[in-house]
Amino acid sequence: MSTADGGRTKIRLDKLTKQFPGQAEPAVDALSMEIPEGEIVIFVGPSGCGKTTTMKLINRIIEPSSGRIFLDDEDVTTTDPDQLRRRIGYVIQQIGLFPHMTIGENIATVPKLLKWDKDRIARRVDELIETVGMDPEAYRNRYPKQLSGGQRQRIGVARAMSADPDVMLMDEPFGAIDPITRDRLQNEFLRLQAEIKKTIVFVTHDIDEAIKMGDRIAILREHSHIAQFDTPERILVNPADEFVADFIGRGASLKRLSLSRVRDIELRDWPTVSDGTDPAEARRILQASDRGSLLVLDDRRRPRSWVNADHLQRTETRPFSEIGLPLATVEPRATLSDTLNEMLTARYSTAVVVDGSGAYAGVVDIDTINEAIRGMRTAERTRLRKELDDELDDEAGGAAEVTSTP
Amino acid sequence: MNFFTYLSNRWDNILELGLEHAAITAVSVLIATVVGVGIGMATYNRQRSGQLAIAVTSVFLTIPSLALFGLFINVLGLGATPVVVALVMYSLLPIVANTIVGLREVDPAIVESAQGMGMSRGQRLLRIELPLAWPVILTGMRVSTLIALGIAAIGAYINGPGLGNDIFDGLSRINSPNALNLVLGGTLGVIVLAILFDVLYVLINRLTTSQGVR
Repeated sequence: MSTADGGRTKIRLDKLTKQFPGQAEPAVDALSMEIPEGEIVIFVGPSGCGKTTTMKLINRIIEPSSGRIFLDDEDVTTTDPDQLRRRIGYVIQQIGLFPHMTIGENIATVPKLLKWDKDRIARRVDELIETVGMDPEAYRNRYPKQLSGGQRQRIGVARAMSADPDVMLMDEPFGAIDPITRDRLQNEFLRLQAEIKKTIVFVTHDIDEAIKMGDRIAILREHSHIAQFDTPERILVNPADEFVADFIGRGASLKRLSLSRVRDIELRDWPTVSDGTDPAEARRILQASDRGSLLVLDDRRRPRSWVNADHLQRTETRPFSEIGLPLATVEPRATLSDTLNEMLTARYSTAVVVDGSGAYAGVVDIDTINEAIRGMRTAERTRLRKELDDELDDEAGGAAEVTSTP
Repeated sequence: MNFFTYLSNRWDNILELGLEHAAITAVSVLIATVVGVGIGMATYNRQRSGQLAIAVTSVFLTIPSLALFGLFINVLGLGATPVVVALVMYSLLPIVANTIVGLREVDPAIVESAQGMGMSRGQRLLRIELPLAWPVILTGMRVSTLIALGIAAIGAYINGPGLGNDIFDGLSRINSPNALNLVLGGTLGVIVLAILFDVLYVLINRLTTSQGVR
């Protein structure tokens, strides 16, 4: 079984229906869809559209009224639900850590159910606490109430990954966290996913989160009817109908900035000086460049500050890093949207890009972003034209193919 | 003979009755805990059956103890057995009610995440729900112990063990010189036992409740 674009199908839902007793209409009505292996698929839609119910049908926290669920081509609609759930990681908005157990015991829950031996469990617990960016020594024996909201969220994700499931279900996992922490956790999670490549079903009501996190987005309307199931790019460029266009809302091109990352665009160079450079030498470099300031790097090439001609006049013996203006840095995996945001608040409308070790890699300015947007538009237009041509060809050949949009 | 001379003469007798009194209370509350937590676990997740369990055990608690002991004479005879049965009945309500409340108050999100991780119904109940409800259940046991300590004294009426024997002794010869001392000694003994049990419950709570929920 493979999807339209060649990837393996991990989860297949076939006419899945949930009719709650005492309700006139089904909460989920004959939903069929294929979820490709190793991708993040987002269920997004207005509240009450059945997206959470749909997700809970997959691990049968809610039992379907009719229809089938396939995991790896195996029909799991009627197998033992507890065995099924041990193969699927599960994270909910309230996280639901067990308050009477330590962080280590929380993470060890599923491995214990699977009867792993003690050493293996202990190694796995430490490995996972480290994976989510915390210190096993310090946190293994703490209780959930001793953690901040963001830390609890990380442990929730670690616990869901404990037995290394191929599939994870996440119901608004970053919903109850302040915006700054949420942004950081989203980025961390994307970085993690790039390594672990799980198949993830992710429920949210926030279209911006969907665009940022999703490889594919299923926009759902009432009764979990699929309005559009496609990549974020194509949904933004080519919404299937009024409902989808409304749901995306205004500013689709601004949202598109969330789709490209700093590493995808060409960085510019900026004149730099190291922290200990003689002021006279620095003034000479500044004059030779066409910029109004220099970027100060420390001995490990980490950017420290901006210095301009004024600073260079005034400095005598103090290092540049203490006299210059503060700067904004972004990492290669930051989205252009985040980068633009940094730039608008920073000096010289310029964001400094640093690599993984914090060393200077280049800068992004408004022009760079402008070019990126223009490039994206051209690419999309070309692709759409090509698809249209292909479809016309197919129809001409009498074999209209059904794409992944039902 | 003043009360203090009485105490120094008779302390070994009072101690012995006190130990009997503590033992019969502890046994009754333990049985009531096993039965009561069982009833609570069986009924907490259905509104109707939970209400029924609380209603029935409330009726037990309203039966006047002297009447119940009297009724038991024909069925169970005299001695410790009918007293234990009666004390179990009186101890049930706080334990059943607190078990039901404690289990119902466990955050549904916690139970759902346990379910999502593949814990069976029984595993969820034993490893997640009961430990989280435990402090509430323990409070119920504490109230039951106080009720049982008081009512156990009446048990002497049907030849049950404990400090009630001194109290009834004193009351039956109220005009003799030692009568008041007997009643006072028995009553104070029950109060001292109540305080000791309370201390015990604080210790049990410390030892059996996870640091994470304290």
